[in-house]
Amino acid sequence: MVNFTVDEIRNVMDKKKNIRNMSVIAHVDHGKSTLTDSLVSKAGIIASQKAGETRFTDTRKDEQERCITIKSTAISLFYELDQKDMAFVPKEGKESDTERGFLINLIDSPGHVDFSSEVTAALRVTDGALVVVDCVSGVCVQTETVLRQAISERIKPVLFMNKMDRALLELQLDMEDLYQNFSRTVENVNVIVATYADEDGPMGNIMVSPERGTVGFGSGLHGWAFTLKQFGELYSNKFKIELPKMMKRLWGDQFFNGKKWSKTQGEDYVRGFNKFILDPIYKVFDAIMNFKNDETTKLLEKLEVKLTSDEKGLEGKPLLKVAMRKWLPAGEALLQMICTHLPSPVTAQRYRMELLYEGPHDDEAALGIKNCNADGPLMMYVSKMVPTTDKGRFYAFGRVFSGTVGTGQKVRIMGPNFIPGKKEDLYVKPIQRTILMMGRYIEPIEDVPCGNIVGLVGVDQFLVKTGTLTTFEGAHNLRVMKFSVSPVVRVAVEAKNPSDLPKLVEGLKRLSKSDPMVQCIIEESGEHIVAGAGELHLEICLKDLEEDHAGIPIKKSDPVVSYRETVEEMSEITCLSKSPNKHNRLFMKCQPTTEGIAEDIDRGDITPRDDVKTRARKLADEYGWDVTEARKIWCFGPDTNGPNMLVDCTKGVQYLNEIKDSVIAGFQWASKEGVLCEENMRAVRFDIHDVTLHADAIHRGGGQIIPTARRCLYACQLTAKPRILEPIYQVEIQCPQDSTGGIYGCLNQRRGHVYEENQIIGTPTVVVKAYLPVNESFGFTADLRSKTGGKAFPQCVFDHWKVLSGDPTDEETKPGIVVRDIRKRKGLKEGIPPLDKYLDKL
Amino acid sequence: MAVAFSTDSSEVINRSLGISPPSRTSHESVEALYEIPRCVQWVKKHGFHKVALQFPDSLLVDSTEVALKMEKETGAKVYILGDTSYGSCCVDEVAAQHVNADCIVHYGQSCLSPTSHLPVLYVFCCQPVDVEHCVQSFRKLIPDQNARVIIMSDVTYSASINDISSRLSQEYACLVTSSLNIPDSNLDTESSTQKSEQDTDSTSTTQDSLDQDNQVICRFGRTFCLQADTELDSYSIFYIGKESLTLTNLMMGYNRCMFYSYNPDGRNCRKETLNVNKALMKRYYMVEKAKEANVVGIVAGTLGVSDYLTVINNLKEIVKKAGKKSYTFVMGKLNVPKLANFMEIDVFVLVACSENTLIDSSEFYRPVVTPFEMELACNSCREWTGEYITDFRELLPGAPSHVPMSEGTGEDETDVSLISGGMRRVGLREEQTTGSTAVVKRDDVLTVAEVNSGASFLQSLSWQGLEQKLGETDVTTAVEGRTGIAAGYTHEPGAGGDKEGPQA
Repeated sequence: MVNFTVDEIRNVMDKKKNIRNMSVIAHVDHGKSTLTDSLVSKAGIIASQKAGETRFTDTRKDEQERCITIKSTAISLFYELDQKDMAFVPKEGKESDTERGFLINLIDSPGHVDFSSEVTAALRVTDGALVVVDCVSGVCVQTETVLRQAISERIKPVLFMNKMDRALLELQLDMEDLYQNFSRTVENVNVIVATYADEDGPMGNIMVSPERGTVGFGSGLHGWAFTLKQFGELYSNKFKIELPKMMKRLWGDQFFNGKKWSKTQGEDYVRGFNKFILDPIYKVFDAIMNFKNDETTKLLEKLEVKLTSDEKGLEGKPLLKVAMRKWLPAGEALLQMICTHLPSPVTAQRYRMELLYEGPHDDEAALGIKNCNADGPLMMYVSKMVPTTDKGRFYAFGRVFSGTVGTGQKVRIMGPNFIPGKKEDLYVKPIQRTILMMGRYIEPIEDVPCGNIVGLVGVDQFLVKTGTLTTFEGAHNLRVMKFSVSPVVRVAVEAKNPSDLPKLVEGLKRLSKSDPMVQCIIEESGEHIVAGAGELHLEICLKDLEEDHAGIPIKKSDPVVSYRETVEEMSEITCLSKSPNKHNRLFMKCQPTTEGIAEDIDRGDITPRDDVKTRARKLADEYGWDVTEARKIWCFGPDTNGPNMLVDCTKGVQYLNEIKDSVIAGFQWASKEGVLCEENMRAVRFDIHDVTLHADAIHRGGGQIIPTARRCLYACQLTAKPRILEPIYQVEIQCPQDSTGGIYGCLNQRRGHVYEENQIIGTPTVVVKAYLPVNESFGFTADLRSKTGGKAFPQCVFDHWKVLSGDPTDEETKPGIVVRDIRKRKGLKEGIPPLDKYLDKL
Repeated sequence: MAVAFSTDSSEVINRSLGISPPSRTSHESVEALYEIPRCVQWVKKHGFHKVALQFPDSLLVDSTEVALKMEKETGAKVYILGDTSYGSCCVDEVAAQHVNADCIVHYGQSCLSPTSHLPVLYVFCCQPVDVEHCVQSFRKLIPDQNARVIIMSDVTYSASINDISSRLSQEYACLVTSSLNIPDSNLDTESSTQKSEQDTDSTSTTQDSLDQDNQVICRFGRTFCLQADTELDSYSIFYIGKESLTLTNLMMGYNRCMFYSYNPDGRNCRKETLNVNKALMKRYYMVEKAKEANVVGIVAGTLGVSDYLTVINNLKEIVKKAGKKSYTFVMGKLNVPKLANFMEIDVFVLVACSENTLIDSSEFYRPVVTPFEMELACNSCREWTGEYITDFRELLPGAPSHVPMSEGTGEDETDVSLISGGMRRVGLREEQTTGSTAVVKRDDVLTVAEVNSGASFLQSLSWQGLEQKLGETDVTTAVEGRTGIAAGYTHEPGAGGDKEGPQA
C-alpha cells in the first residue's frame, strides 16, 4: 500500500508518460478480482483494506455474496520501477525519462457475459488490457469476446496465466503437460490477436510472447507470479548470457542438457522452461505439500525467502502460500510487466485518435487527443455512471483524452445524438466537482489532466449513459461504444401499489443511467419494460431497481423475448392500396433481403449515411443486387437505420418526389410495428413498383399517403409468407466429460442443438458449444446444474436471429402461439388482421 | 372500375352507416317518448320563435314526425339538426346558430356538458327498465348487504333509477344513488327528470342538513352524496345502461372503484372486466409521448361545451411554458387522413366533451391525447397519481383539480426519456427567453438563426418544393392537359360515362 496525499497523486498525473491505464479482462471465474487484489495490496493508493480474500474491487454487497463481479471498478496504483528495469520501458520522445514512479489506473471488469457492457465501458477508458486466462481451462468464449473487443478498440493486451496452483495441486500435471497447456493458450490467444489485428497495424506487433515478457504466470489466489524476465535475470548472471537472450532460452523448443542448448529434444536434453522455471517451483510445492521439512528449509534458504518466526510455524498450504508469495511476489512481476509493456496515454492516443473521434482528424480536438496535450481543448469521454451515496445522483466516470478538466469549468456536454452545429443533446454547464475514484473511496481533486481517469459531479443530469465533454465549440462527438451483447431479454415491471408509479418511473430512469446496457422503455401498451443482456443481468438490474433506484415493491412479469417479423418469399402479387380519397394508388411488393445484409446493417457495414454509389456497388458485388435499384434505396427502417429497406423500383412516375417523405413516414411506422404483432420488422426489402397520384397536390398530401403506404406495406408483408424471427443464444458449457449426457438432454428439451464439442487437451474437461433459443433459456442454468450435479456452467450470449418455422397465421403452430401471446400482452385485437383490410382491388 | 379515381355519387347515397337500421317509433308512442307536451309547454312558456331540434343519427327517423307535431302545437318555426360536427351527445350550438334558433331541444344520449349560448331542453327519450329483474340481478351480483354501492345510470334509463334504488335501499344499508346534474347555465335549461331531480335534491339537502360532513361529489353530470368518513375508493359502482362511452368515461374517472353493469336491453348483469389499470397504463404512455413532443396540435373537438375556448387558451399557455410550440386546428370530426396531413405535429390534444375525449389513436399517425394528459406532460407540478380527469373544465383555474403551472427555474431541466432512452429538455429553452430579435451573424447568414420546430421540420424534408432544373429538362412541345375536376378528370375511365360529357 502506498499512502499518498491528493497533491502527490495530482503531481504524478502530470507525468503522462508514466501513466498506464489498463483493464483486467477475462472469462468468468478466471480470477480477475482476486488477482487485482494482489496488485492493490502491493501498490494501491490510499487503501487500508486487507488484501487476500477480500476482493477489493467488488464494492457491492451482492458482488461479495455471489463472488461475482457485476460492475467494473477503477483503482489507482503507484509503482516505482527499479532503475535497471527502466531500460525496458519503451522510450517516448527524445529526452531520456528518469522518472521511475508510475501511476497505474486499473479497472477490474466483470467476466460474466451478461455484464460485458461493463467491459466495453472499461476498455474505452484504458489503453492496455491484462488478459487473465485460467491455465487449466484455457481460452474460453468470453476470453475471445473481450479480447476481440479490446483489439478493435486498439487496446494492447498482455497475458496472465492464472491458477497455476490448481494445475499443480489438483490436477498434478507433469511439467511437460503444463508447458504444453501454457503454450497452447499462448497460441490460442495469438490466433485471436492475429484474426483481429494486423502485425503492421497502428499498434505494431501486439502478439503476446513469454520470451518478450508479455506473458505472466502464477496464482492470483496464492499471490505469486512471475514472467520469464524474473527467472531470466536470475540465470543470466549465472550463465553470463544477456537477459533478452536468456529469456528466449526459457521458452519454446529450447532444450538444455546441462552444458549445451539445442533446438531439438535429444537425449538428456530438457526443455529450458521446465528445467529452469518449473523444476524449482515443483520442488517447492513437493517439499512443502509433502511435509518434507528439512528439504523445505533448505530450499527456502536457497531461494532467499526469509520467513518470520510466526510463519515458520506454518506447514502445508498456508506455508506454501507464504513461501511462494515471498519468493515470487505477484505484485512485483505484474506491475513490472504492466509498466514495461503496456502503452502510456501518449503512445496510445496517437493511434487511438482516429478510432475515437468522429470529427475531422486535423481539427483542434483531434490534434489535442493525438498529442495528449494537457493544454489543448478539453475532450473527455464519459463511459459510465457510478451511483453516489446521494440517491439518484451519479458520478460521471470517464477518461480525459485532451486538455484538463477541473472543478467549476464550463463545458459543453454532448449526448450521443448531438450533431455539430445543432443544439439537440447539447448542454453547456459548469462541472460541480472533479473527483478521483478509487474502489470504494472517492477523493476530491482540483483538476485532472489528459491521459487520466476521473469522476465528475454535476454532469449526470445531462447524460443518460455516455457522452462527450469538451470546451471546443466545433468539437464532434467521441465515438459511442459498440457493445458485444444486446438486450434481448425483457420483463415488464409494475409497482405493487399503483400510486407508486411515479417512483417506479423515476427508478427506471435512474436504472437506465446506472447500467451501460440496460434499456428501460415504456411500450405502447403502457407496460414498463426493462431489457437486459441475460437472465442474470436482468435479475441484478431488477434488484437494484427495487432496492435502490425506486425503493418500492415491484411486480415483475415472466421474462419475455422480443421477436422480429420478417418474410420468407417475394410477395405473390403486387399489392395495391388506395388512399382514403381513392385518388392515389401505391403498388408495392416485398421480399426477404439477401442473407447477410441485415447483419451488415446491424454491424454498421452498410448504413444510411454511406455514399450512395459505393453502397450500391457493395450491394451489387456482394449481394447480387441490380445496381440501378441499389442506388434508389429511399431509406432504412425502423428509426431510419434499421435492417429493412424501402427501394424505389418505379420508372418515370410524376410527382414521386413529392410523396417520398410521406411514404418514408409510412415505412418507418410499418417497419417499427409489423402487421403480425407490432414487433419490429427485420430483413425485409420493400419495392415500390408503381404509383398513380392525383394531379392536384392537395389530394396527395401526407394525410392521404402515410396511412396508405402503411396499409400497402402490411399487405406486402401478408402476401410474402410472413414469419417470426426469434433470438438465439450461443451457449458455451464447460463440464467434465461424464456429465455431457445431462447437457445434451437439457438442450434437447429446450430446442437447442450442439454444434461443437471439444475436449480440452490434458484435462477431463469438455467444452460444448450449442445454439439455444433465448425463449427457452430461462431457468436453463439452474436446470443444467441440477442435471449435471452442479458441474456444468453455461455462458449464453446472443448470437443471431432465426426463423421460427411455421406459419404464424395458423394459430396452431408455434409462431402462431407466439403471435397470439404477444397480441394479447400488447392489448391488440385478437388475430392477425386479414389481408383485405390492407389490400384494395383495382 | 367506375370508382377507381372518383367516389361515385351513388355510393355516397348507398353507403351504410355504422348504426343498426333504426326502427320507426309508432305514432302513439312518439308523443310519450319524445315528451312532446313538455317540450311544447317549455317553448310556449318562453315564447321561442325558432326552435332547433337536435337528433342523434339513431333517432333521426322520427325527426320529421316530432318536428311536425311541434310546429303544429307551438306555432314556432322548427328546424331539425342532424349529423352533428362532433359527438351527438353534445349540444350543437353552432348548427343552431346557422338558423338563428332561439333554443335547442336535445334528444337522446347526452354527456351533460354545460353549454354557453342557447337555452337547451334535454329530452333523454327514456327507455323502460325492468325494475324487478334489475333488482334481482343486483341481489345476485352483490349479495353482501353491507356493501357500499353507488347506483348510476345512463341518461336514457335515468327515469327508473329512483325506483330501483328505493327498492334496494330497504335491504342495502350503504346504498348511494346518483342523480343527474342537468347543466344549468345562466339560461333557462330544463330537463325531463327535473321533477324527480327536485325530489332527490330536496332529500339530499335534508340529508345535508342532517349531517354536514357528508361529501357531495359532482362529476360527469352526476351528483351523489357519500356518507361522512367513507372513502370513494371503498364503494362499488352499479351502472344501469349499455356498454357505452359514458361507462368507459365513468370507469376511467372512478378508476379505483369496482364496476358492475346492468344492461336493460339484453337484461344481463355483469362485473365489468375492462382492465382499467391497463387502459390507464396506455394513457400513461400517451403522456410520455406528449412529454417527448416538440410541436403540439390543439384540435377543437367541440364548439358547444362551455369554457372550451378558455381551455384551448390555457393549453396554449402551458404548452408554450413547457417550451413546445402549438398550433390550433378546427377540423370537424377527426379522422386519420386529416391529422396525418400535418406531419410536423408530434402530438395532438383533443379538446372535447368528457365522453368523446378518449379516443383510441393507435391507427393515427401521431397520438391524440386529452387536455389532462397534456397538462401532465407539461406541468411538473401535476403528478400522476392514478386519478384521471376526462372533463377538461376540472383543470381550469378555480376548479377542484386545478394545479398551477410550475414555474421554471430558468435553468435547463432535463429528464430521461423512457421512449427513446435519450435525454430530453424540460421547460422553457434559453434561446426562447431571449426573445426573437434575431440579429444574424454575418457568417451564419445562410443558416436559420432561430430554432423553429416547424421550420426545422420542413428543412428535413427531402422534397422542398418545385425545382427549376434549368437546362436539365428537355424542351417538349405543349400537349393538351386534363380537363374536368380533380375528383374525376374527363379522360379517366368511368368519369365521363353516366355523367354529363365534357364541354369540348
